[in-house]
Amino acid sequence: MTNTALDRAVRAAGARVAAALAARYRDLDLAEDGFAEACARAAEVWPRDGTPDDPTAWLYRTADRAVLDALRRRRTRTRLIPEPPPPEPTVEDLMADDNALIPDERLRLIFVCCHPAVAPDARAALTLRLVCGLSTLEIARAFLVSEPTLAQRLTRAKRKIAEAGVPFEIPGPDDWPARLDAVLTTLEIAYAKAHEDAAGTGRHAGYAAEMLELTRVLAELLPQEPEALALAAIVRYAEARRPARLDQDGLMVSLSDQDPARWHRPLIEAAHAYLRQVAMLDGSGRRCWQAALHGTWCARRSLDEPAPWSRVLALYDDALLTLGEDPVLRLNRAVALAEVDGPQAALDQILRLDADRFDGFGPYHAVLADLLRRTGRIDQARAAYTRVLALGPAPAERRWLERRLAALGNGAILSR
Amino acid sequence: MLYALLIYEDESVYPADRSGPVVDAIRARHMAFIQELGPRRLGGNGLKGTATATSVRTDKGAVSIHDGPFAETKEQLGGFYLIDVPDLDAALALARRVPLAKDGTIEVRPVIAPPPAA
Repeated sequence: MTNTALDRAVRAAGARVAAALAARYRDLDLAEDGFAEACARAAEVWPRDGTPDDPTAWLYRTADRAVLDALRRRRTRTRLIPEPPPPEPTVEDLMADDNALIPDERLRLIFVCCHPAVAPDARAALTLRLVCGLSTLEIARAFLVSEPTLAQRLTRAKRKIAEAGVPFEIPGPDDWPARLDAVLTTLEIAYAKAHEDAAGTGRHAGYAAEMLELTRVLAELLPQEPEALALAAIVRYAEARRPARLDQDGLMVSLSDQDPARWHRPLIEAAHAYLRQVAMLDGSGRRCWQAALHGTWCARRSLDEPAPWSRVLALYDDALLTLGEDPVLRLNRAVALAEVDGPQAALDQILRLDADRFDGFGPYHAVLADLLRRTGRIDQARAAYTRVLALGPAPAERRWLERRLAALGNGAILSR
Repeated sequence: MLYALLIYEDESVYPADRSGPVVDAIRARHMAFIQELGPRRLGGNGLKGTATATSVRTDKGAVSIHDGPFAETKEQLGGFYLIDVPDLDAALALARRVPLAKDGTIEVRPVIAPPPAA
């Protein structure tokens, strides 16, 4: 039988409490264990004595006491010179509004988890564990590794943080841009994992919810950082489109073919709000641009409305100017160009790119295949589709590509 | 916290006899860096090139002596600093500034702290 009051409290404030403990004691393991003990205590006591008026404060106090006990036991075992115990939280601390009590502890914890000294394959997992409170099992499933593997990764990362002396501090101005970018990149990677499950049913749907929450927190804590706001927008746009990503046969539906009526409007509105803030800050980073692109697509209200290809093309031109020349941008621009100026114009552009660079890159061959098909070069199109499939695409994309390849063979007329 | 900053560079940027303008220039930069470190520096030295190295190897109890460094690598250990700073970020900030002739790697390793005085 679940204890719903405890579940609610943990969902609402668990991460904040854990973060505050981690920051106070500079020890992730102690903080985690203390918090776990507090939850176990709550599960016993609350059903019996009633839910406390302030569940968060109760959890924090109880966890704090558990950590102090553990410290005392540790000192007894190792016989170090006893240090004075850390200060007890005052009544005022606990009575204060939750947000005021521990706002930037969570931010500090995020920066610690994404520190360059932490192994890259552990950063996202550690953030999800410590800041979002996902279980090791949930994270292992999301990352498609076994639970022991993931547990070991987390243990190593925590040990590295402790042994190497990673500080629980927000980086200074010199390090700030690179460190913030590392945090945002880690979150992007974490979200991409959730997004891979295009159907979004079951456990992954919950995991995406954690990413929405985490990007919201980051945007709230860093309202002057356009890239952080842009990420919050991007994740919401992507999540909003989830219901339309697959058709009833489980095949991937391209953006321009998705029915906007199936998109989640409230998430899009929330994303638009972040995008407006980005615009007000004159954001011009990579994510700001990506958010604008998503926003353009998600402004569409129905399939009857023409797809915004001209605007998309303009955005790609803008990106190439602002962010610099990039072959992947060129490739995606060609897709938009095909819609505005026709497939031959786009094919001419693609053929100017260095094919060797793209040899192992699936999307290049997929785009090429489509343009070759549309300009009547069927045999070359077939070769290109075969190449993409040989590169091992994800299941939903694989089926889509196989269908396209098969349609070439039997001369079927595709809708477009 | 104590950290060792281990300096790895392709030593071929330096002439074999370790004299001349390139070496003078880097030495001057290290002297300036030592000034900057002040009391944070507990020690450190430049090492003569790997051509001067001799390695004593113990393998399954047998000890043998070899001409040359521990391993042949693209970048070689050429020197180190021993520093005392509050945390890893402070050590990394200093590691960024360790003088290099051109490219290289500064490995930042925490030092096992000596036991507290009895």
